[in-house]
Amino acid sequence: MATEATRHGARIGVDVGGTNTDLVLECASGIYYHKVPTTLKNQSIGVVDGVLAICAQASLDPAEVETIVHGTTTATNITIEHNGSDCGMLTTEGFRDILHIGRHKRPTNFSLHFDVPWQSQPLVRRRNRIAVRERIAAPGGEVAVPLDEAAVRAACALFRKRELNSVVIGFMFSFLNDTHEQRAKEIVLEEMPEAYVTLSSEVAKVIREYERFSTAAMNSYVGPKTAFYLRDLEARLRGAGIRSKLRIMQSNGGISTVDACARRPIHILMSGPAGGVIGGAAEAVMAGTPNIITVDIGGTSADISTIPGGAVKVMNARDTFVSGHPVLAPMIDLVTIGAGGGSVAFIDEAGGFQVGPRSAGSEPGPACYGRGGVEPTVTDAQIVLGRLDPDMALGGSLQLDAELSRIAVDEMIAKPLGISVTEAALGIIRIINNNMALAIRSNSVARGVDPRDFSIMPFGGAGPLHGVALAEAVHARDVIVPVAPGITAAVGLLKSDLRYEHTDAVIRELTRADAGAVAQINAQAAALRDKVQAELDADGIDRAAQKIELVAECRYAGQGFELRAEMPELLTLENKAGVVASFHERHHLDYGYSYPEAEVELITLRAIGSAEARRMEAARIQTTDGSSPDRALMFSRRTTFDDGRTLQTPRYDRRRLFAGDRIEGPAILVQHDSTTLVPPGYLAEVLEHGNTRIRAIGA
Amino acid sequence: MNKIAKPAAEVDPITLQVIRGAFETIAEEMGHVLYRMSFSSIIRESQDLGAGLFDLNFNTLCESESTPMHIGSIPAYLRGIAETLEDGEWREGDVVVHNHPYYGSSHTPDLAIVVPVFLQGRLIGFAGNTAHHVDIGAATPGLIIDVPDVFAEGMLFAGTKLYRGGEPNGAIWNYIRRNSRAAQQLIADIEAQVASARLGARRFVELIERYGEETVFAAANQLMNYAERMMRQKIEAIPDGDYTAEGWLDDDGRNREQRLKVKVTVRVRGDGLEVDLTGSADQTPTAYNVPFEGSTKVAAYAAFRKLLLDTATSESRVPSNEGSFRPITVTAPLGSIYNPRFPASAEARFTQCNRMIDLIIRALAPVMPETVIAGSSASISFAAYSGVRPSGDYWVFLEVNEGAYGGRPRSDGPDSIDNLMANTRNNPLEDLAMHLPMICDRYELRDDMPAGAGEFRGGIGVVKAQRMLQPGFITHESERHTDAPWGIFGGTEGSVGRCTIRAADGTEREMPSKFSGLAVGEGEVMTYYSPNGGGYGDPLNRPALKVLDDVLDGFCSVERAREVYGVIVDTESETVDMLATEQARDRIRAAR
Repeated sequence: MATEATRHGARIGVDVGGTNTDLVLECASGIYYHKVPTTLKNQSIGVVDGVLAICAQASLDPAEVETIVHGTTTATNITIEHNGSDCGMLTTEGFRDILHIGRHKRPTNFSLHFDVPWQSQPLVRRRNRIAVRERIAAPGGEVAVPLDEAAVRAACALFRKRELNSVVIGFMFSFLNDTHEQRAKEIVLEEMPEAYVTLSSEVAKVIREYERFSTAAMNSYVGPKTAFYLRDLEARLRGAGIRSKLRIMQSNGGISTVDACARRPIHILMSGPAGGVIGGAAEAVMAGTPNIITVDIGGTSADISTIPGGAVKVMNARDTFVSGHPVLAPMIDLVTIGAGGGSVAFIDEAGGFQVGPRSAGSEPGPACYGRGGVEPTVTDAQIVLGRLDPDMALGGSLQLDAELSRIAVDEMIAKPLGISVTEAALGIIRIINNNMALAIRSNSVARGVDPRDFSIMPFGGAGPLHGVALAEAVHARDVIVPVAPGITAAVGLLKSDLRYEHTDAVIRELTRADAGAVAQINAQAAALRDKVQAELDADGIDRAAQKIELVAECRYAGQGFELRAEMPELLTLENKAGVVASFHERHHLDYGYSYPEAEVELITLRAIGSAEARRMEAARIQTTDGSSPDRALMFSRRTTFDDGRTLQTPRYDRRRLFAGDRIEGPAILVQHDSTTLVPPGYLAEVLEHGNTRIRAIGA
Repeated sequence: MNKIAKPAAEVDPITLQVIRGAFETIAEEMGHVLYRMSFSSIIRESQDLGAGLFDLNFNTLCESESTPMHIGSIPAYLRGIAETLEDGEWREGDVVVHNHPYYGSSHTPDLAIVVPVFLQGRLIGFAGNTAHHVDIGAATPGLIIDVPDVFAEGMLFAGTKLYRGGEPNGAIWNYIRRNSRAAQQLIADIEAQVASARLGARRFVELIERYGEETVFAAANQLMNYAERMMRQKIEAIPDGDYTAEGWLDDDGRNREQRLKVKVTVRVRGDGLEVDLTGSADQTPTAYNVPFEGSTKVAAYAAFRKLLLDTATSESRVPSNEGSFRPITVTAPLGSIYNPRFPASAEARFTQCNRMIDLIIRALAPVMPETVIAGSSASISFAAYSGVRPSGDYWVFLEVNEGAYGGRPRSDGPDSIDNLMANTRNNPLEDLAMHLPMICDRYELRDDMPAGAGEFRGGIGVVKAQRMLQPGFITHESERHTDAPWGIFGGTEGSVGRCTIRAADGTEREMPSKFSGLAVGEGEVMTYYSPNGGGYGDPLNRPALKVLDDVLDGFCSVERAREVYGVIVDTESETVDMLATEQARDRIRAAR
């Protein structure tokens, strides 16, 4: 394996989280892990520091790094902190306020004081949304009213006066005919040569004006800052003597270039969680378990994704929202819920026992941090139950105060409910596990997936403490704990393929499509392929290594939601029935029902181009010589389990375990940034890469 | 009658949370399947639906967070079904359809589909949902207003079995297929409802198998008590007393000169209260009446969930069940607009419900100044567009248009958004143009009339213009052309709504707020302007820079900024003249 890496040069994965920047380096001498604090103001500082540090750790000349793959929350944070660009927008006369009205549905039913994010934090302020005369006719797409070019120039003059440098162009029906949007862009670039311009027909050539405009506006809102960040990072890396290729993780789980992401930052809004899911999927392959449910538990939230047969799923475009705004960009199908180590437990005014979604964050953090937090969190409950050793956090570098945890649980939960501290702590864990189990259920059972055929893969530092309880709650087969649960997301970055997607609106009834319609669909498909191919070419990918897949997004005529059907390379009058059949099947799988007699409408064609990246090779660990795993035994302490029993429980150093070692619960497996709980009645089996399978004894 | 196993001892608080989460997930899953599968835009886009699980006493155990008008309405349907059930008993595999407004329905287009839940051969509860259907064969396509009685509302179902013991009742399916202008959509959407209800029943049984019947029902009861306790605590905090407010509805859709009074009295006594609608208008001879059980009561309950259990300002959400309704009684004299006598028609009932909520808020304003908001549009625009295709088939499109909120104690009223009891999604205009012979000419914030001024301004209503590309029919159910949303604590009132029809030759006529089955020609355009919300607090207290923002964003004219807000804006330099503003504000104050 070392020879393999030598041949290809070293690669680094850098995942920037809210607190830490995690790095993994794969090079000739092996695989290295490192963590540095995230530099919140400009993530690139921490990234460069971390890259240099991990190279030093491996005694590697930074110039020898061939590729750096980066997962970043920069674009996401702009949407959370509302500090994107002031944008100008050109839109169709009569439709100035599409972005202000949205879908006119309130975020909440029972409230008078609700916030409306698209009105209180608009992507483009109304004063900068300029409506101009133009009109494309539906359904044919011909020009009904020519573009008022003078009005476009007048709008540019206003944008210049207001010093705006980011412009959104969104015209009605541009998914049928984009000539007006293209022409407006030419004019804008004549008037404002430096402007960052986004066309709705370029970012999402699909029907539904609000979602398309919102996607374009989001792109222009986060674009200039994100582009600056990416270019700045590239420059800093160069400055530090690193000549590697820089690749960015996208929301769809594929990687892309700095240039492409700078132009279309809407594709990296979920860059952060995507790395975790890809990392989990790769761990599943390594463990020889294709069906997994990943549970990435952080401080404030948990990301859950179901991966059947090793295939990471992409969310329905109707469900992709970022900070309250719809964004039509492919994103890995995952649910995020407010459940993490910092989730606060409290008794509400009517006596209900709640855990989360509010989090204590890192300031003040859990009570045990001793930073003034008095409310108990999930982490405090783990400490009270003896599942987290206060002297062992982050390898002992973070000192936690168990007494503060106990007081918080006692005062805020146990006393008001009249139960013991242990019962209260068990209750906190049970409620948070149940919240996560329900989210797993909504991402699996509710979509026709049976968790009994799946393994739970818990990661994030705290994940493996919850793995077995979650597997029990959803009846999953077993639990697979990754090699390094604390940095699974960073590892995932090195396991991702290059991936580009383009869409085009079709809107035709497939069942009735004649030869002419089929030819038209094929022409659109060919154009999409060309677009994707051009991007892969530009990245220097050999044609032979390029893979281009076509997807037909269909619905029953009259329905409002599309599902993905398989699309042949070349559609014919004969094989179109296969597309229709594939859609019926998908509908049945998702909703438990299909309408075999109904007309099927093809709404959107999507081309997905990918090129397989070289996979990171995980080292195998030593196979057991038959000796007792006691070689890894650290010490033994009392620990309380979900059944209420408190047992003397041995702690094992996970690094000292050999492949083939079996440890019966009760036991705790400890490593630098993660703790794995093996309850009584369960058996942990160390696999060949140091990953671990936990299953019920006798199962 | 109570067949529920006697509740076991108290369920511990942890298990209680676990079961609560499971209930909520089931309800959401039911709602999700229903709107994702459905065909008509009123269900799939607008999500005009509700779904949940119920016990044998028709208590709601859980309900999907869909649109408020459906939430809490299903128990009345269940009571109506109990009185009318075909065969007189439930059998495993039965599916019932029900929409009779004098047997508990919310109004006739909202069909309920109910499935009994059996555990080892024993009936233990119900899974059901309601959804608004495009056309059930009423006098005019889609919606009705000017009709003589309930029999003009179309097909009436009462305890009717679509399936008997799992076998489809072919005659009734056939009947439905023959009696709707949009039969294909109606049938497919009913099928989606059946799939959703059956899913709910299956999940209900799984839940009981997991935790035991006693525990699940005991938990359900405790969750109802919890919601009740929460509501009672909030009512307790309101000073005892009788609080009254009045307003006027435009007309009944036929007798144009006759305004209809709405009078609301809220009687607060300790931890309970009564909403009394005595003094409101008599029932109307048209469809402009409100079914008491399925709509009047539901709207009154919802008013207090919004006011007292506001999800935006409270940390813990109250579960969606019967408990929060218990402290509230609703009174409306039989024979009045809020409690009509059979066989009066009662299909067009939405605006009256919204108006009642708005007046409940107004009545309580003196004692809850930090909780109430100024007058909202408190109306709706519900339009049915239809026509006959060259093939002879009907097309029918239902559109819900939004309103605007009144100014609030800490923020402006939201603009162009579904108001109070309404919470639907609009239909994408591009989708409309691709599939129907209609085109939208304008969809923007209203700029012909201002919103109510205040320290926190009222929300701005919408203007929407829809052009018919072929001859067809329009029925429009709306309100508030005469009585503008009220301002409060120094805020000024908002603006009334408006509706016009412009002929192909450009002549425009003002329309009343309600009209039925109007024949329109090719190229005619209906334009709807929703009322603008009232203002909250003294406009002179609005920060000058916020007024500048309003002017730049076109929410307020330069003149209005000067005259009402006392803010002097220079639009060229995009600044406020602070000194002149101070002087102008002093002058306005002195003149008061």
